Amino acid sequence: MIEVANLEKHYTVNEKEPGIAGSLRSFFSRKTKTVKAVDGVSFKIAAGEMVGFLGANGAGKTTTLKMLAGLLHPTAGTAKVAGFTPFERRSSFLKTITLVMGQKQQLLWDLPASDSFLVNQAIYEIPDLEYRATMKEFTELLDLDGILKKQVRKLSLGERMKCELAAALLHRPKVLFLDEPTIGLDVNMQVRIREFVAAYNQRFNATVILTSHYMADVTALCKRIIVVDKGHIIFDGDLSALIERSSPAKIVKLELSKVIPREILESYAPVKSLDGLFAELLVPRLETSKIAGRLLSELPVADVTIEDPDIEEIIGQLFQSQTVKS
Amino acid sequence: MSRHWQLIKIFYGASIAVQLEYRVNFVVNLIGSLLTAIGSLFGLSILIAGGSSLGGWNQTEAIVVVGVFTLMEGFMGVFLYPNLNKIGEGVRTGSMDFTLLKPLDAQFLISSRDVNILRVADLLIGVGLIVYASLKLSSVQSPGILIAVLLILAGFASIYSIWFMLCTTAFWWVGVENITELFWGFFRAGQFPVTAFPGWGRILFTFVIPVAFITTVPAEALIGRGKLETAIGALGVAVLLLIVSRLFWKFALKNYTSASS
Repeated sequence: MIEVANLEKHYTVNEKEPGIAGSLRSFFSRKTKTVKAVDGVSFKIAAGEMVGFLGANGAGKTTTLKMLAGLLHPTAGTAKVAGFTPFERRSSFLKTITLVMGQKQQLLWDLPASDSFLVNQAIYEIPDLEYRATMKEFTELLDLDGILKKQVRKLSLGERMKCELAAALLHRPKVLFLDEPTIGLDVNMQVRIREFVAAYNQRFNATVILTSHYMADVTALCKRIIVVDKGHIIFDGDLSALIERSSPAKIVKLELSKVIPREILESYAPVKSLDGLFAELLVPRLETSKIAGRLLSELPVADVTIEDPDIEEIIGQLFQSQTVKS
Repeated sequence: MSRHWQLIKIFYGASIAVQLEYRVNFVVNLIGSLLTAIGSLFGLSILIAGGSSLGGWNQTEAIVVVGVFTLMEGFMGVFLYPNLNKIGEGVRTGSMDFTLLKPLDAQFLISSRDVNILRVADLLIGVGLIVYASLKLSSVQSPGILIAVLLILAGFASIYSIWFMLCTTAFWWVGVENITELFWGFFRAGQFPVTAFPGWGRILFTFVIPVAFITTVPAEALIGRGKLETAIGALGVAVLLLIVSRLFWKFALKNYTSASS
């Protein structure tokens, strides 16, 4: 569905020293510098696949998405999405895709979302029957009842995002580029949006590329992740494989009913943190259940949870080492 | 084509709905534009009462030029200003992304998304002045009227193209709101017959910035003073500007860098 080969995008940016003196200097003579936002990226994504795009801010995620959506001309390389060359921006291509940006909105601010939907219906030439069916489905999945008639400016961030998603998917695109669709939303709303994306993917066999700062989005939706750093892909593969390989330990979180000295805890496994009654131990993956069992029976434990280490930490380590290749 | 009319109807409907959303603001704006209209009528009455001729145009004939100018101003206020001046903002904030993602010609979408009904008064005043002066002038004949209508449409096309190109420079320079002010500045020269200017001014406003083709030439045609060559020239300029602005737009799109999220 998506095929990208050696994609590159270079920007020329102005550099400015801080302060008014810097602004004056930059007004008269601009210093420019070429930034390689995307520098030789290649990957393939099959139809129906959901892929998570991870990377620090400025790693090149959004630039890549924008090239795939046809907004930006690549400096070099090729991209094919659903058989089209994105930057030709054919209308049949644009009807196949959608781009959702959590930080930007397309809904008419002063009107109810339903007005924006009608505008999109006309733009995308959606037949009435199909429009009504889609609206009905989305209203159920996203629980839109009662918010469609309120002016967008009066909606909460979460409600607005649900409407943004509906507006962006009204034409039932086959390829979804979701750029931080859950940014700023509370946990419940994040879950809601996630479930919706998963349902949409199932229902229409849509291909999804997702970028998010919330790892939970990615872990919940995507089996495969692509990690980019400084315009390069540094990992492309199974999320669970990445976790297992780069972090051989699980985190056992204990809530103790009385204070235990660190040395005693250390005798079970390395202590990650100890704060009064709360302790976190790094337990080797294969011995998790054995050690957790011993902890429970030998120590005064009030509560225990076992977690994978924070995936953001794993990714952070990945950026530092940059040696993992798949 | 009919699809585009359909879309314009929907866009304008939504745009008017937005303006009606803030009732107080709407009423204040309405009063504001009425006052502006009355003010410009007073200014005109002084011109009309003056009685002197202007570059070979008697006062009634000069009113036709003012009428065409006001009509053009109204056209800009109602149809162009609310759309084209948002291009810069769209590039700066990244909302242009959504425009470019729509399966429609982006130039059409950018140019037809909004309408400012509050400035319709200008259109009416312009037409009113033209009709008023025409009734007083015996030289106004139906073939002239027909050509004048055609030339006014060509004038719309020319203004649109020039303004559109100026706003499209936002793709490189981003902050370009002041460029359109520059255009307004020059365009103001159009309220006088071009022959009223000294030689260099005539050349400037005919060949460099074709303001003469936009106001003086349609007025000439209406009062039966038009020459075939100038009429063809005005139409040619309009078509040429439309083509150039289209090419310029295509070129600009390739340079779009999109604001980062």
